[in-house]
Amino acid sequence: MEEKVLSGLGGVGIYGVISICIFFAFFTGMLIWVVFLRQPYLKSMQELPLEDEPASQTQSRTSPGNHEL
Amino acid sequence: MNVETTTPAAGTRLETFKYDNRIVRAFAIATAFWGLVGMLAGLLVAVQLFLPDANLNLQFITFGRVRPVHTNAVIFAFVGNGMFMGIYYSLQRLCKARMFSDTLGWIHFWGWQSIIVAAAITLPLGFTTSKEYAELEWPIKIAITVIWVVFAINFFGTILRRREKHLYVAIWFYISTVVTVAVLHIVNSMVMPASLFKSYSMYAGVQDALVQWWYGHNAVAFFLTTPYLGMMYYFLPKAADRPVFSYRLSIIHFWGLIFIYIWAGPHHLLYTALPDWAQSLGMVFSVMLVAPSWGGMLNGLLTLRGAWDKVRQDPMLKFMVVAVTAYGMATLEGPTLAIKSVNSISHYTNWTVAHVHTGALGWNGFLTFSVLYWIFPRLYNTKLWSIKLANYHFWIAVLGMMFYVIPMYVAGVTEGLMWKEFRPDGFLRYGNFLETVTQILPMYRLRALGGSLYIIGVVLMLVNLYRTAKSGQFVPDTEAQAAPLLKEPAASPAFGWSHHWLESKAGLFTILAVIAVLIGGLIEIIPMYLIKENVPTIASVKPYTPLEVLGRDIYIREGCLACHSQMVRPFRSETERYGEYSKAGEYVYDHPFLWGSKRIGPDLHRVGGKYPDAWHFNHMENPRNTSPGSIMPNYAWLLQQKLDTDSLPPRLIALRRIGVPYPEGYENGPAQKDLRAQAAKIAMNLKVGLITTYPDGTALDKENREILAVIAYLQRLGTDIKGQPAPATTAPGTASNQ
Repeated sequence: MEEKVLSGLGGVGIYGVISICIFFAFFTGMLIWVVFLRQPYLKSMQELPLEDEPASQTQSRTSPGNHEL
Repeated sequence: MNVETTTPAAGTRLETFKYDNRIVRAFAIATAFWGLVGMLAGLLVAVQLFLPDANLNLQFITFGRVRPVHTNAVIFAFVGNGMFMGIYYSLQRLCKARMFSDTLGWIHFWGWQSIIVAAAITLPLGFTTSKEYAELEWPIKIAITVIWVVFAINFFGTILRRREKHLYVAIWFYISTVVTVAVLHIVNSMVMPASLFKSYSMYAGVQDALVQWWYGHNAVAFFLTTPYLGMMYYFLPKAADRPVFSYRLSIIHFWGLIFIYIWAGPHHLLYTALPDWAQSLGMVFSVMLVAPSWGGMLNGLLTLRGAWDKVRQDPMLKFMVVAVTAYGMATLEGPTLAIKSVNSISHYTNWTVAHVHTGALGWNGFLTFSVLYWIFPRLYNTKLWSIKLANYHFWIAVLGMMFYVIPMYVAGVTEGLMWKEFRPDGFLRYGNFLETVTQILPMYRLRALGGSLYIIGVVLMLVNLYRTAKSGQFVPDTEAQAAPLLKEPAASPAFGWSHHWLESKAGLFTILAVIAVLIGGLIEIIPMYLIKENVPTIASVKPYTPLEVLGRDIYIREGCLACHSQMVRPFRSETERYGEYSKAGEYVYDHPFLWGSKRIGPDLHRVGGKYPDAWHFNHMENPRNTSPGSIMPNYAWLLQQKLDTDSLPPRLIALRRIGVPYPEGYENGPAQKDLRAQAAKIAMNLKVGLITTYPDGTALDKENREILAVIAYLQRLGTDIKGQPAPATTAPGTASNQ
């Protein structure tokens, strides 16, 4: 069935099937891997860009209230 | 490096150090400056498409030579400097360390700017390899390699000196950029020099095409996309003041993207003479690219959940949102265009131009503007001079992008369908290619308007950034504190073989990234060399004659392939228009391949013998002489400049060294004799066509000028498979342009 669908895209033949297999194997592996990552670690990584410089540097400097024309 | 150590009450030893802002400022200024230059070069070539005389009849600013100036300036000068700006700013802060070496940073900066200047000088002079986005000649290619190594040492040195154990997702994208661009550049730059500014690709024909588009596609991936994704993952959370939506998704985005992207190169060669298996692989992996790309786009947009009120107020976020949206649009459209049936209509048309500029103007441009608006106030410890002006910039840029992209879609679909339309009696409805050119001229004019608007926006930004800088005080170093990185056991028992563990191993991470990247490239490229059936040879295909070699090199110098393909695809609409479809075996002596990627004018692979020599002579002097309404520039200088036959021997020697079977010693006499004989024959044909002198009155047989070599080459094109017919010798007429 997959081959039929892919062939409709332009005669991909066996390469389509092989590619789909690689695609699913790779993404399934990735999904399993990331699902088992722990929340504290994920949270600490997510916060990294927000805590990398002094507070004065993180304030918005492109929001209204600045000098206007 | 200026590191001080303090011991706070908690007992943790903290180190005080400084982030280097000077190098960030230098790259930021270079980004803004080269952005303007690159876009102006784009406007110049855009105008020439509806006003050919805009080249002022100067060869140095003619479309074919300036187009690579535009593409190189935007890719390597604008986005390149933008990437370095973002990396030098964020890498230091994510690693909690100053850059490894200030000196290496400045060598990198000035080296890169020197390369850009060298490109801006050599490309208009016609020194080009002709391979898209890799046009620079071999001495500059070597300089790029050296400077990239300098950058890589500084980059990895900083990572090794980091005080933050884990590498944030932005750094993974940077790592993939640094290593993959190096691999792509080296493999695609394999050339045989013939002189200081002339070389021939080591690869020929089909193999050269595959390597080039493996490079070209992945230059888009790893120069225009991955570093900017890294910047998105760093600057978007900062601007939104909230963490990235899903770190899990970012892991899938990264590994999925770098693994799949590298396979997709052959989608640039669908329906060409490239073996079908490679085309199919390229197509299906391109379709798969939607998954990681959209994962990344959604991750970016969802980071703004609950913060959309900020987008309304903050122009920096406005630019960022449009950039991420454009990334999503371009990465959905790319795989769509890679489907063979869609590609059969879109390829060689302005649809591709629209697609490319959705990415360049929307993704790269808007993200760069966003980061510049973010960085400048911080570098100068002030606020942005004018929010209102930044908002004007935003809306003008959006309008400019719309006026650019939409006309190009209309033009692309129009010409793609016109090329294929048949009348009920079985003949092409638009048999004269020129009809399909003049039909889309209004779209070219609208595109130039869009580009102009976009450039006006950039000027507003430059004013705003300049005034911002003037209103503040530059902060050369930003002081920060962090605990040093302690040595820990290699694996954490709590997490085992996890991404957590992998992110702490920069070296291993880099190696795995390289492996993920290389798999696709190797699987596609190696069989192309090892399996002979991939390029069936054709006995009647012979090397180019000496005069044709010189003519081909002039064709390369003038950038003719920017407008003319040399690849007749196996469609009835193309065989009807051009002749027999192109075979892989016809290109075995083509160093480099000249298939082109755009048909602003008609395909030329079967042009040999189609018109008399005199037609070409008149056409080159002024294309309107033979093809009224043509938008091709005049190439009058080809009729004025003496043919450089002194450079013939080193050219033939270089070609022989890479496999073209010219006999030993052929360059020492016999080649010159053959050249003179062929030139004399063409001069004779021209006389039959009532042309006896060059425009300045010099007799044709008095001096061999460049036009003779160009005619020789054009008359040879595509004729090998039908033997070697003599060019037609009828008098020139006003034959339509195919």
